[in-house]
Amino acid sequence: MLVTLIDSPVANTANIARALRAVGAELQVTRDRAIIAAADKLVLPGVGSFVAARSWLAEHGIDEAIDAAVAGGAALLGICVGHQLLFDVSYEMGTTRGLGLVRGAVERFGGTLPVPQIGWNRVAFEAHPLFAGVAPSTSFYFVNSYAGRTSAHEIASAAYDGAFTAAVQNGRVLGVQFHPEKSSTAGLRVLRNYVELQP
Amino acid sequence: MTAFDVIASLDLLGGNVVRLTRGDFGTARSYGLPEAVLDTLAVSRGARLHVVDLEGSRSGRPVETELVRRMAARDIAVQVGGGIRSLDDARRWFDCGAARIVVGTVAAETPDLLAQLVAAFGAARVIPAVDVRDGVIRVAGWERASGASLQEVFRRFESLGIDEALVTDISYDGALRGPSFALYRELRALTTVRLIASGGVSTISDVVSLARHRNVSGCVIGKALLEGRLDLGEARRSVAVPNAIPERVIPCLDVRDDRVVKGVSFANIRDAGDPVECAMRYEAEGADELVLLDISATDRGTGTTVDTVRRVAESLFIPLTVGGGVQTAEDFRALLRAGADRVAINTAAIRRPELIAECAAEFGVQAVVLSCDARRTGDRRLATVRGGKETTSLDAVDWCRRAAALGAGEILLTSVDCDGQNRGYDLELLRAVTSAVKVGVIASGGAGRLEDFRDAIERGGARAVLAASLFHDRVLTVDAVKRYLSNEGIPTR
Repeated sequence: MLVTLIDSPVANTANIARALRAVGAELQVTRDRAIIAAADKLVLPGVGSFVAARSWLAEHGIDEAIDAAVAGGAALLGICVGHQLLFDVSYEMGTTRGLGLVRGAVERFGGTLPVPQIGWNRVAFEAHPLFAGVAPSTSFYFVNSYAGRTSAHEIASAAYDGAFTAAVQNGRVLGVQFHPEKSSTAGLRVLRNYVELQP
Repeated sequence: MTAFDVIASLDLLGGNVVRLTRGDFGTARSYGLPEAVLDTLAVSRGARLHVVDLEGSRSGRPVETELVRRMAARDIAVQVGGGIRSLDDARRWFDCGAARIVVGTVAAETPDLLAQLVAAFGAARVIPAVDVRDGVIRVAGWERASGASLQEVFRRFESLGIDEALVTDISYDGALRGPSFALYRELRALTTVRLIASGGVSTISDVVSLARHRNVSGCVIGKALLEGRLDLGEARRSVAVPNAIPERVIPCLDVRDDRVVKGVSFANIRDAGDPVECAMRYEAEGADELVLLDISATDRGTGTTVDTVRRVAESLFIPLTVGGGVQTAEDFRALLRAGADRVAINTAAIRRPELIAECAAEFGVQAVVLSCDARRTGDRRLATVRGGKETTSLDAVDWCRRAAALGAGEILLTSVDCDGQNRGYDLELLRAVTSAVKVGVIASGGAGRLEDFRDAIERGGARAVLAASLFHDRVLTVDAVKRYLSNEGIPTR
């Protein structure tokens, strides 16, 4: 299955590429708008700053290319900040509009635990094709200071000073707040599930 | 099962909240009226409060009844102790609005009176207090050993229907060495009575660790709250939801010239295999993360490290932290590009602390790990550089605090003295650092037995435990350590 990995500079693209190849994806890594707009299956990675990642998408018209692909029925998986970019809005350093592909807002963790969250955290989910073959309450690896707090499109949640959205789905648009490429067997299984997802 | 209760503890004397040093009335330091203290500590309505009537315990009759009445009027569930020696004493406290009474000497020495108190007021309103030193119950202001054994006393509590007892390990009290987890563990085998832990609770991590003990239903905290070292609200929130965030077990690959090596106290180095093979084996065993330290890079630069990292990252799908020889933000970037998720800096950060802030700004705080190699020098612990070869004049705890403020997202804390000795982590060093910084600390250097990993987390406050030779030599597997921790109540992945 051909997977198109969006080559954002605000991302750990190489690690995600390695993991996607390891689960059998035929991979193209690109910044080309036309290729992205025509893709059937996209992965949007991201680490670090939402604002920087969002600006890069806008500056290069990648946001429009993603919209076009999704409108044409493409599947999309956002990872970490790539997942956050799917939301309506983020409150990281002010207010920044996201891609608006899933409902909800991205907010900073507040409370007593260290921010960023760095480490494994248990993820709760109902049966879902993205989590096929993954045991309930499996831990995934997270690195984040912000997260979707609630979303009508939530398919998995975790707790860090209160509940937050660990994964979302709206039609063929999917997102995971954790790093599947760093979550060992369970993470690779989630990536494989996405790669093998049928149209 | 009810939630774990964090209970503020106040000693009352002459109408004020005070603290005594070693029980000496001459040393009483006043903290003012209880109302003011309750406000400062933010003890909320409905909360449980532990108070000790010091004059009462000296004179053998209730004294600070008026204070207890005022606190009870604020809707606070006061449990009061100090010199209760009769049914009348107990009745006076309940008449003042006390929710519970705490009885010490009576509990161990006069079983008939304890039974009468329970019969008159109900088992739920009588909390026996047991002070223990070296496994022996002490009574009468700790001055003598009780004739009764722990087992006898707890059997008696059980037969009276008492389900909660206050247990203080007085060899720990106030010493800031942390609660006596070993005692609470010992009692778990001995009794079904739930324990309120007392003595030595001084950090958030202590509270979280106690809450992981199924037989411990709460803890009382005095000194650390009054001295402002611990925030009651924060402590309560830390246990308000079950803390199921897994603690991490991290094998460390010490690498030289693209080979894994091992040594004792940073010397006597032997070959231990290929880094890729080791890394894959550890991931399969359940390692939560891998640390790769290139011990040759401090002298030779990160050139070969980048190649090793690239090879390891190709087949590793858990987080990889890389250190050794990082001098500049460029080195940092090269290692991230090669596949590291996080980079540890030591020598270069000590020489130029701004490097931490620069890397945090450019790569995010989550990517920046401060590696601190601490060495004991007299009663000080100093940071060392160049793989422990050079000792600086920097206090290790101060340096960790500063590095965290500059933007280090986590601290990899190695005791150079304990490294390779397999006799346990330096728990004092760990406690000193974990209570000084908000960021997570990875304990490193000295693990030899399963208990060492537990103690580093439970007593040391570490959020991750690292070992090298123990795993290389297959004395223990990562999987065995995680199963052990899980059995000890510490959540793992």
